[in-house]
Amino acid sequence: MKLITAVIKPFKLDDVKAALQAYGVHGLTITEASGYGRQRGHTEVYRGAEYQVDLVPKVRVEVLCEDEDADDLIGVMVKAAQTGRIGDGKVWSVPVETVVRVRTGERGPDAI
Amino acid sequence: METITSFAADRARRTNQVDRWLAELLGAEPRVALVAVGGYGRRELLPRSDLDVVLLHDGRDGIADIADRIWYPVWDSGAELDHAVRTVPQARRVARNDLKVALGLLSARHVAGDPDLTERLREGALEDWRAAAPTRLAELHAAHDERAKMFGELAFLLEPDLKEARGGLRDVHAIQAVAAAWVAPAPGPKVRTAYEQVLDTRHALHEVTGRRLDRLVLEEQDEVARAIGLLDGDVLLRMLAGAARTIAYAVDHTFRQADRLRGRRLRRRPAERRPLADAVVEQDGEVVLARAAEPADDPVLVLRAAAAAAQAALPLAPRTLDRLAECPPLAVPWPASARDALLALLGAGPSAVSVWEALDTEGLVTALIPDWERVRNRPQRNPLHKFTVDRHLVETAAHAAALTREVARPDLLLIAALLHDIGKGWPGDHSVTGAVVAGDVGRRMGLPDPDVELIAAAVRHHLLLPMVATRRDLDDPVTVRQVAALVPSRALLELLHALAIADGLATGPAAWNDWKATLVADLVRRVAAVLDGEPTPEPAPLRADQLELAADGGPAATVRGSEVTVVAPDRPGLLWRAAGVLASHRLAVRSANATSVQGTAVTVFDVEPEFGDPPDPTLVAGDLRRMLLGRLDVEDRLERRARAAPPHGTRVPAPRVTLVDGASETATVVEVRAHDAPGLLWRVGRALGECGLNVRAARVETLGAEVVDVFYVTDEDGAPLTDRDRRRATIGSVLAALAS
Repeated sequence: MKLITAVIKPFKLDDVKAALQAYGVHGLTITEASGYGRQRGHTEVYRGAEYQVDLVPKVRVEVLCEDEDADDLIGVMVKAAQTGRIGDGKVWSVPVETVVRVRTGERGPDAI
Repeated sequence: METITSFAADRARRTNQVDRWLAELLGAEPRVALVAVGGYGRRELLPRSDLDVVLLHDGRDGIADIADRIWYPVWDSGAELDHAVRTVPQARRVARNDLKVALGLLSARHVAGDPDLTERLREGALEDWRAAAPTRLAELHAAHDERAKMFGELAFLLEPDLKEARGGLRDVHAIQAVAAAWVAPAPGPKVRTAYEQVLDTRHALHEVTGRRLDRLVLEEQDEVARAIGLLDGDVLLRMLAGAARTIAYAVDHTFRQADRLRGRRLRRRPAERRPLADAVVEQDGEVVLARAAEPADDPVLVLRAAAAAAQAALPLAPRTLDRLAECPPLAVPWPASARDALLALLGAGPSAVSVWEALDTEGLVTALIPDWERVRNRPQRNPLHKFTVDRHLVETAAHAAALTREVARPDLLLIAALLHDIGKGWPGDHSVTGAVVAGDVGRRMGLPDPDVELIAAAVRHHLLLPMVATRRDLDDPVTVRQVAALVPSRALLELLHALAIADGLATGPAAWNDWKATLVADLVRRVAAVLDGEPTPEPAPLRADQLELAADGGPAATVRGSEVTVVAPDRPGLLWRAAGVLASHRLAVRSANATSVQGTAVTVFDVEPEFGDPPDPTLVAGDLRRMLLGRLDVEDRLERRARAAPPHGTRVPAPRVTLVDGASETATVVEVRAHDAPGLLWRVGRALGECGLNVRAARVETLGAEVVDVFYVTDEDGAPLTDRDRRRATIGSVLAALAS
């Protein structure tokens, strides 16, 4: 099993959710996050004053899936989250040892 | 009605059953008694209540066996038992050291055995309670405050704790406890009815869930409502809100009486009366009406007294509220003084909430704003919200009060905050219906059409910024252009930004955080950059009669009603010295308009007395003329007055001073946003004068308790300020003058 994490632009959340649903993913976790990547935030000039925005608001999406679905899911999420501009975010996956559904106690792939 | 009687009857029946059972268990045993305390003592046994029982004895032998004979069968029955075995002196000693035990003993009731023992305990416990009343009541009050902090307010929470929340059952027990100390009257019929309603709800909650629960969670509300014969959970919450408000209000009043008892024993000084506003004074930590007040002839008095109370962060005395109910209805549209008072009330921030609450309990809010009725006590089914609609609106206005420096129109911000969800009382999209209702209310308040439109637009679009900021691509110019099309002015954009923050903060922790704030602020910056700069307010042109006065050249001063006109050859310091003279006569400057006509300065003030009757106009005019001729020391007079001025009760946001570029080519525009205070214009003007600046023109506006002042200033050579250090120093000294 794999845990796929995506950090994306907030307004892309609806697109990513729709794409995951279309693929057949039923559950996901959303967190409001802030951070920066290679662009190190950005500087804006407004009415003569400079504003330094160091931490850019992002949304963090987490999905559990079976090993064989991971690559496809990453592809689906990247496609849905892409605008082609700086700050589009990242998607990565890590292996998962155990998953248990709290309500029923089911384990492993059945719990996903 | 029938169901309600059946709940009370059910509790009494259960109590009687348990009484009989315990009496059988005790049998005919001499020199002992079984005493019911707490809820059982009050005959309020709910299906899952625990039994609070004291086995009272006189020190005889074999008491342990008697106790076993009673406790074991009770335990075996599965009932929750809270038990104690004590002699009368032991029970009194424990009660003296433990508030909870002492409160339980106040409702002690004889169940079985020797009634004399019980009577001795009851009398002894009451005697101890009364003897230690000052400290006990203070502990009781502290416990109440602690509970309120932890459990919140029953009336406004969507999942309230019926027992512990403010306005819940414990508060009524507290009132009874204060009454037992002979400090305040016992709960009246209104409070008793409210108590029964909350108790019945708890009763039904036990029955429906089969568990001893105090918190009325969302998923149980519909079933509990049906169990007490109500249509659904919404109706239930509305009933509870009404009941809890009655209780909370009564408990506050009771504690004030209890505190006063303590205060009097400590201080022993006569109650002082201190004027707060016209016909409104402070006495003994409460706001009351002055002796000269005539509610029957003074429709604005309700709002004026409420504003004074909120600004001083003091409660309105209950008898004052009764008298305020005699005020005739306000004329529609409202006079300006009523609007100003409403703004001063809302602008007080957190302290406005309890004052508003007091007005609402007496039905005074719906008398002012009939549309309020539809959102009153209205619950909302939404996981983000934690308050009922009406409380959410008041909380939003209180949060908006902290943001008044962020907007050019603090008055419209406060009104828009108060009305932004008013549409939730009507079917359909609440932003759309709300805009219509808010427009009606704005017109009722007598606001001019452009302001009404701005408020309606703010209500219509109050969700726009947070929604777009979190769901749309801010880098896309189309997004920003679309928002700019809906929000065509900076005034509206500022309003919406501040409203979004206040709304989010008042909704609950899930609705607003740094994450969202950053996104919304980013959107606002981008939209603002697209919008053209708003023109800074300029001095109004003079009327023909004022121009005529100017042609004479002065010096002259006239006072006509609330309008004061000062004409003199232009020289530095004229405006603020004249403002100082007015302040020394206890006249508050509502607006000032200073212009210069060919070397003659014409300043027109709109003034009103701070309180009491207006001063003699000939005296004011005389002082103004003496000032113009240099024969009056204004400063000395004001210094003396400032030392006697009452300190502010409520915390206000820090003032803001900005130098606006590009507003004028020949002068620098200084914009001051601050909380109004006596002599403010005089202090700001003097600070500008001390910086060597000349005020060429000015426009001063008081919006409720807030002022927005614009000064057109030049340096000694009549040129705008360009030197960076000097600009900074100017801002610094104006701020220092505002802080003093």
